[in-house]
Formats: sequence, structure tokens, C-alpha cells
Amino acid sequence: MTKKSESNLVFWLFLAPVLFAFLMVMVIPFIMGSFYAFTNWSSSAKLDGGFRFVGFENFVKSFQDPSFLYAFGITFVYTILNMFFINIIAFSLALLVTSELRLKHLYRVGFFVPNLIGGLILGYIWQFIFNNAIPSLGSLIPALKFLADPNNLMLGKNTSALIAMVIVGTWQYAGYIMMIYIAAIENVPQELHEAAKIDGATPWIRLKAITIPMAAQAFTVTMFLTLVNSFKQFDVNVSLTSGGPSTMLFGKPILGTELIALNIYNTAFISNNLAQGQARAVVFFLVLAIISIIQVYVNKKKEVEL
Amino acid sequence: MKKMLMVVAALLTATAVFASGTSEGQAQAAKGGKLTLMQNKPEIDAQLKAYAKLWGDKNGVTVTIKSIGGTSGGMGPQLKADYAAGDMPDIFAFDGLESYKEWEGSILDLSNEPWVSKTSVAFKYNGKVYGFPVAVEGWGMAYNADMLAKAGIDPKTLVNLDGYRKAFAKLDSMKAELGINSVVSMAAAIEMGWVTAHHNFNSLLSNGLPYGDLSVVNALLKGDVDMQRLKEYADWVELLFKYADKTVLLTGNYDAQVGAFATGKAAFLHQGNWTDPNMKSANATFKMAFAPHGSMAKATDGIFVAAPSFYAINKDSKNLAMAKKFLIDLVTTPEGHNYMVKEAGMIPAFSGIDLNPDGQLSKSVQQWSAAGKVYSWNQYYFSNDFRDKVLAPIYNQFAAGQITKDQFVDLMAKAFKDNAKK
Repeated sequence: MTKKSESNLVFWLFLAPVLFAFLMVMVIPFIMGSFYAFTNWSSSAKLDGGFRFVGFENFVKSFQDPSFLYAFGITFVYTILNMFFINIIAFSLALLVTSELRLKHLYRVGFFVPNLIGGLILGYIWQFIFNNAIPSLGSLIPALKFLADPNNLMLGKNTSALIAMVIVGTWQYAGYIMMIYIAAIENVPQELHEAAKIDGATPWIRLKAITIPMAAQAFTVTMFLTLVNSFKQFDVNVSLTSGGPSTMLFGKPILGTELIALNIYNTAFISNNLAQGQARAVVFFLVLAIISIIQVYVNKKKEVEL
Repeated sequence: MKKMLMVVAALLTATAVFASGTSEGQAQAAKGGKLTLMQNKPEIDAQLKAYAKLWGDKNGVTVTIKSIGGTSGGMGPQLKADYAAGDMPDIFAFDGLESYKEWEGSILDLSNEPWVSKTSVAFKYNGKVYGFPVAVEGWGMAYNADMLAKAGIDPKTLVNLDGYRKAFAKLDSMKAELGINSVVSMAAAIEMGWVTAHHNFNSLLSNGLPYGDLSVVNALLKGDVDMQRLKEYADWVELLFKYADKTVLLTGNYDAQVGAFATGKAAFLHQGNWTDPNMKSANATFKMAFAPHGSMAKATDGIFVAAPSFYAINKDSKNLAMAKKFLIDLVTTPEGHNYMVKEAGMIPAFSGIDLNPDGQLSKSVQQWSAAGKVYSWNQYYFSNDFRDKVLAPIYNQFAAGQITKDQFVDLMAKAFKDNAKK
């Protein structure tokens, strides 16, 4: 065998396991699922005439369901809030940790650890904190008495439950995004900072004019990651609020903090309507794909400008 | 290149050896084959697994138990996933007509099994038996007898709205003396929707009616709402929510709700005799028993007792003989009796079993049963979808004070009418 074909073989041999996994776990289920979205598949042993094509019926029914539209809306709001807070906090932490602080390496690890805790456990821990720990803090400290009032429980009302989810989401991801910003900040050539200092630039101006523009590439990555992760949020949603306090839309009571992924799950498994859940998943994929393509395009253009 | 090929060859051989080794090993270990059972009561998981091992060793079968439950959705999603994977369990639990219809094509006809003659609550459809009753369960308003005695309330008065109004008001005024946070421990969060939209909802369907009477159920399924009955029921719901601890009501989970009663922080608990193991582990030694739900103006002297879940055998199981034997042995062997009654604390649904469960609440259910003062469980005539996604949010909003009682009645009536149109 020639050198070239041997290195080709090695290349494909090492790539094969990953390609295989990707094909089996992502590509094939995606194609099968998109096909099922046009049928009345329900993975149960009902005796109702069996499997048949129903065209766009599942899609039409989904858009007529107020809970689906509401889930999209609330997921948008959650994503925007989450993206904003995660990035601000992650960037600030990154600046903190790359400055001349003692124990900064310890802080780096400490801030990153929450990301290692799985979504469900995280949700249950914070549920305990919001429902039990904070109210008991209220009953111990007289100045914080309002915390112990059951009417003020964060998970008891819709808006505060959403904010609670943003808090938990931020707590989980800020460390991970911080790592990306650290790499970007440390990659800024020292000469630029020294030159700016000689010219008398304050730290704030140095931040605005040097650090942020040089970290533009990192922004593309972090914006993308936070956007996609917030949109797909499921674990924390299920364990923290289970869809949360109920609310009214178009005169019908629906779940108040049910993000899209949970809505799809509930449609598929609680309503026993797997085909409609699949249709919603296809819509979800298309919307998310379009939004993230737009986001990356805009960010990349900014990169070139900066 | 040669080195590369040798490494790959070695890896493949190793994998092949291990793969064949394990499957051979499994086949040898269980001459009677394998059996998988999926059920929905996580509180008896440990006991069931212990019994399954005992039975498995005796019969040469490897038994796998899967227990999922206590949250919204229960074991439905996992069962669907296993069905789609071609991995349907040999025995699985289901809870009523709607559930049965979901799996009709896979359930074996058990009309000729020897245990059918020993029970009156097996699941029947079109005259044939399809479900093995797991246990007899019941719920009502569990009360702390010591606290009621202290407040001078006679449990026999707790049979209608008026009786409960007086009792709750009295207990509420004595909160500090009794050391309770609230009179009732009730949960209405979305994840506890099964307490409101399944159990409490059943008061509307069967309280005060003869056992097995489906008149209200059929009327509601047709969209025909008896407003007088619904209004009285709304009064009952309002009463429960009014005297409940708001934290437990709006954000508490199962442990929080049962724990509040078990640790003496509430005088009443809206749950059933399945909480006996929880009472035991919380060392709740005070006297407790069930009182009826006072959901009507007239007296309704009975609690809700039925066999709520059934084991079905998968028609396409590869081990039908052993699956049938597992169920038969539960009813006919002393180990089976001991597991059902003493270990799992369940009330047996079969005659010919002499043991009695230890838990106070189970004993209370047996007393009500023996006196014939029982009402049926009818909530399973409504689909999971309807109860969890349409009704549960309505209760949740009412509990949170976002809608008034009149709006609650209107929304419930509208929900039934919309459901009838489907």
C-alpha cells in the first residue's frame, strides 16, 4: 500500500466509530422521525385501524394548540434572558479570573464545577433551595421575613418561576462559558495592552477597544452555545418546575413555564400522541436551525468588521 | 501497516470473546428463561425485587423488575419506549379502561387462569378477564385521631360539607395548641396533579353513588354537566385549599405533603393507604384512620376503595408459562402471600389469604370495606391527557388564587363539554 492510501485508511478507520455513532443516533432517527411526523404513529398496541399517513394534520393541529404557541413564546423570552445573563456574568468572571487575583486558579475551577452537575439533580437541589431553604432563611432572619411568606415563593408564580429557571440556567452554564472567554482574553497579545497603557488608556477603555474586539470570535461561539442550550433546555425545566404554575391563554388554562422541549415530551407521552410530538419536534428543529444560522452569520460579519 | 493490522485484529478477537462469553453465561444461569415486570409503585420496589429474586431462584428464572411512578406520566413513557424498541416487558401494570385500550393489542386473555375465581375485582372487558388485581387500595381523608380527640371532634360527623366546615374551623382556631402549620396537607402543584385531577376529581364522579354506578361518569363524558353537583364539589375543593398549608399546596412534592402529616404538622392528609410505608419510615405512631370525603351537602358515609392497578401479560412474551406462573404463585404460595401483605403492606384482592397488613391506614381501609361502605374509583374513564393537561392546570390556578370559585366551575364545565366534542 502506498503511503497516501495507508494514511487515508488510518484516517477513515479512526473516524469510523464516531461516524457510525452519529449516523445511528442522530441522522437515522432524524430521518425516521421526520417521516413519522406525517403519520399517526403512536407506539402503542391500540386496535384502531393501524398505521396510516395523515399528511400535514399533525402540524396543523400543533399550531392550533395554544400550549405549543405559548411554549415557543416563553422559550424565546427564557432564551433571551438566559443569553444575556450567562454572557454578562461569564465575561465578568473571566475578567476577574484573568486579573492579578490571588487564588485565581482555585476560582476558575470553583466557577466551572456547577456545570458538571447533571441537569435533573441541579433542578431538584434548587427546587429544595427555593421551596425550603429560602423560606426558612426568612423565618430565621427578621429583616428577611417576606421570604417566609408562602405567597412569595419563587416557584409559586409564573414570572418568578421563569426567573428562577434563568437563575439556575445561569448558575450552571456561566462557568463553562467563562472558560471560553478566559481563553479569548488570554490570547490578546500583551503588546497591545502595554502600548495602550503607555498612551494613558484606562482599564475601561482598554476593555472596550482591545479586549472585546479581539474576543469577537469567542462571542460567536458563546452566543451560539448559549442560544442553542437555552432553547433546548429540558432537565432543569422538568425537575425545577415540571411546567410550573398554570396560567391562562386564550381562555384556556395551560402550563405556565413549559418550554418547548417539555411541551414536545408532554404531547408525546402524556397525551399519548407520539406522531404529533414528532411534528412539533420537526418544527422546533427548523426554527432553531434558522435562528442559529442567522445568529452565526451576524456574528461572523461582526468579527470581520471588528 | 502490519502492526496496525495486528492491533485491529487483536481488538476484534477480544470483543468477540467477550460478546459471546456474556450471552452464553446468561443462557446458562436461567434455564427457565428471563422475565421482565414493569410496575408503577416505587414504594414497594425493594420488596418486590426481593420477592422476585426469591421466586426466580426457586423456579430458575431471572426476573428483572422495573418500577417507575409518583410523577406525572408515570410508567407510560418508559413502556412506550420499550414497546418501540421491541423490548416490551412480559408483565406490566395498567390502571383502567383508557390504559387498557392503549395496549389492547398486546394484552393476553387471562379468563382461564386459576386465580380468576378467587377475586371479584379483576379487570374485565367484553366479558373476558385481562388484568390481575395487584392490591385493594383506598383513600379518604386520613386524620390524626389524637388531634381530633384533643379538639373534641367526633370523626363520625365528618361525612359532608357542613361537618368538615365546622371541624376545620375548630382545628384552625387551635393551630398553636396542636402544633400544626395547617389543618389539611393538600398538594396542587403541577407535578402533584394526580392528587387533584385524579383522586380529588373522583369525588365528583362517584361520591355518594352506589358502587360501580357510572351515571355521573357517562353524563360527563357526553358533556352533560350536573351544575348542582359540580357546584357542591367546588365548595369542597375550596374548603380543602382554604385550610391547606400554602407552601405544600403550591410547591410541595409527595414527600413534602405526606411528611407534613407524618410529622404532625397537619391534622388531615389527602392521600391513600399506600402511604403506610412512608408513615412507617417517618415513625408516625399516632392513631390514624380514614374519614369520608365531604364533597356533598348530603352525607356520604364511605371511602373510595378499588383495585386500582392490574398486571397484564404481554401476548407476545417469549416466556408465557413462567409469566403466568409468577401471577399464580403470588396468590397460591405462602411466600407470595407474605410478600403481598406483610412486606409490601398491600391489602390482597383475593380470597383465601389469611394475613392482614400492619399499617393503620390499610387496616382502616379493610374496616370500611368489611362494612360495605365503599365508593368506586372512576377517574380512569377519563384519559391521562384530559386529567393531566386539561384538569390539573385548572386546579392549580384555583389553588394559587388566580381564578375564583365561579371561574373554576365554569372552566371545569367547559372542559367536560370540549372533551365530549373530541
